[in-house]
Amino acid sequence: MPLHDVGYRPWQGVRTGPASTVAVIATTGIRLAWTSRWLRRAVFFAWSPALLFAGSFFAFEQAADEGRLGALRNTARSGGDLDGVGILGSILAETLGKPGQGSVEQAGGTGPGHGGANAVDQTRRTVWSRLLLAFMRVPQAVLLAVVIGLVAPSLISRDLRAKAWLIYFTRPVGKLEYILGKMLILGLLVATITMLPALALWLMGVGVSPSIWVAVTTWDLPVRIIVASLALAVPMVLMSLAYSSVTAESRIASFAWFATWAACWIAHTTLSTADLMRADDSSGVAVAAGVDFSDFDSRMDEFLEQGPRRGGRPPGRNLRQFRWLSKAAGLDTTIDRWAWLSPYHSLGVIQSWIFGIETRWQAVFPPLLSLTLVSVVSAVVLWWRVDAPARA
Amino acid sequence: MAHPADATARAPGWAATHPSAAQMPVEVRGVIKRYGRRTVLDRVTLDVPPGITGLVGPNGAGKSTLVRAILGLVHLTEGSVRVFGLDPRRRSRMVRQMMGVVPEDECSIPGLSGVEMVRYAARLSGLPGTEALRRAHEVLDWCDAGQERYRAVETLSVGMRQKISFAAAIVHDPRMVILDEPTNGLDPIERRAMLGRLTTLARDHGKTILISTHVLPDVQSVCDRVVVLAGGRVRLAGTIRELTHPAIPEERLEGIGPIDALIGRLTARGIPARRAIPSPSELPAPPGGGTILFQSQGAEALRAVWVEAADLGVTVRSLEPAHRPLEEVFIDTLRAAAIADGESHDAAP
Repeated sequence: MPLHDVGYRPWQGVRTGPASTVAVIATTGIRLAWTSRWLRRAVFFAWSPALLFAGSFFAFEQAADEGRLGALRNTARSGGDLDGVGILGSILAETLGKPGQGSVEQAGGTGPGHGGANAVDQTRRTVWSRLLLAFMRVPQAVLLAVVIGLVAPSLISRDLRAKAWLIYFTRPVGKLEYILGKMLILGLLVATITMLPALALWLMGVGVSPSIWVAVTTWDLPVRIIVASLALAVPMVLMSLAYSSVTAESRIASFAWFATWAACWIAHTTLSTADLMRADDSSGVAVAAGVDFSDFDSRMDEFLEQGPRRGGRPPGRNLRQFRWLSKAAGLDTTIDRWAWLSPYHSLGVIQSWIFGIETRWQAVFPPLLSLTLVSVVSAVVLWWRVDAPARA
Repeated sequence: MAHPADATARAPGWAATHPSAAQMPVEVRGVIKRYGRRTVLDRVTLDVPPGITGLVGPNGAGKSTLVRAILGLVHLTEGSVRVFGLDPRRRSRMVRQMMGVVPEDECSIPGLSGVEMVRYAARLSGLPGTEALRRAHEVLDWCDAGQERYRAVETLSVGMRQKISFAAAIVHDPRMVILDEPTNGLDPIERRAMLGRLTTLARDHGKTILISTHVLPDVQSVCDRVVVLAGGRVRLAGTIRELTHPAIPEERLEGIGPIDALIGRLTARGIPARRAIPSPSELPAPPGGGTILFQSQGAEALRAVWVEAADLGVTVRSLEPAHRPLEEVFIDTLRAAAIADGESHDAAP
């Protein structure tokens, strides 16, 4: 018997509540998940795109500070290449290059200390929103699939295999607390790779901007980031946990998760390409893949007219660049009618809506309905499955 | 079926003011549980009083389902269960705070060490962080877990995992502990220590303990009461003494010599006696010896037995009050249950 063995002693303390149970499940789950070397690598890697976007934020603020927005506008209008300022180039080209946008016009001609600060603010707001949206849609949404795919499949299936459900459901842990705890594990990881870097980008943008008041004029962006992260996290977390709850083999859940993403993506691309092929002429109205043939023609005309030495760009390069970025940053105004088929594309539309870039109900409704359905069905499956062994 | 106490059980302080609820930790009344057409529990009615109760029965008897019903994990087809006066389905959180469970199946959370596992169990049961760790170490010390507690649970021996599982069940100081095969995988010394801990919990700390097991010697050595479950029904329930001691007191005499002649002499003197059939666990009788059972009829009868044995030259090796081994009682009960079930099947149209 150890010297410090005091025998069995009763315990009469104050017990914590259900919220504490959720936190305990979540923190323990994160600690266990974090032991995976692959997860640590994925999370660290997931922060790397933020550096690229940080460069764009810096370049924009530098241009605004030096009063070069006007020059950039002119370059954009003349079809010049703005790639010198990174990702920002394409976004700026679109934002500043469109004639008739009052604020942009004013901002373009305004240098520091020359008034028109409101116009600069408005341009900043548009550019920042699009940069943040592009950041959350393209690198982070894909990395989210990877991170969730590394962690989620084992969260419930491992409990089923190791009969750990007995540990939970013979103690004062309800189904809801169990599910919330598991969701919180994934939610925190998703927040780590989407919300936190996006908030950090916004903070950095405020930091490199000429005035701290920029934080006030862009106060809604952090809120939109948080809401967009939640919109990203909730359906995906529920779906991945539902997969995990239907099998005791985490490999099967993992396969199902990645297969869903891949299959839906392929289905979306196939149907979108079919739409593209069906277009009668190059001025097709709704091109689902985000490549506008009218843009192609105008670029081609411009290229032929101006030639490379005057800054005209070959259309192929431009379109390749725009193919992903125009979608990501909400520059492509065509309605993606197959977006509801693919979680990635649905999430993109919803995020675009949250950032105030996509406002057309007919574009938002199908993906919104699709994600809501996925969330509801996943929640029902989860609720039914998590304590199924206890009832058997 | 509504429980008679249903109406009053929800009133605040009801359990404290009703002695029956305060004294009877578990009341099971007319519980029927069916999975499809299969009836797993068939009108089960039993009480689990304070102390140690053994729940024994063959595989598929419904023990695990009964335990799950007590924990409120399964929806009952009919009947009611009360745990400390509370409905475990409706008040599951409160009921489970008062319970600790050692499941038969090895259940663990891979990646956690032994002490982390117990701490996690404590946290899930509502103990605050630091207190949970302190308490985890305290019960692990009591369970003699040693330094093994710092190893990952999945790398521990079966016996050590059993200790961890037991520590996790009692870390929050529950009023009742349910153990499914608690001595599985334990060596004889650890087995004895585990049974000693159960006795300490019941006797010194007033815990109610329900042991579901196949190891009948364990039940006989620590339990106050035993419930035999077979075919989803309670076949026998009572204290160990009631079940293992015959209704009419008998004495058991083991001797060497003309045992059959002694039986004849005693019967002739009006003392009913018979040769005892040795149980499989008993040592075989020595050559020329045997064991007889005779009805105890007071000091006179005992004196007569001594006289007759001496007269016939029977060397008496032992003379003690007779009792039946629990194993024998259990097997007889199962046989009777099988016959009864067969008859009821035959009688069914």
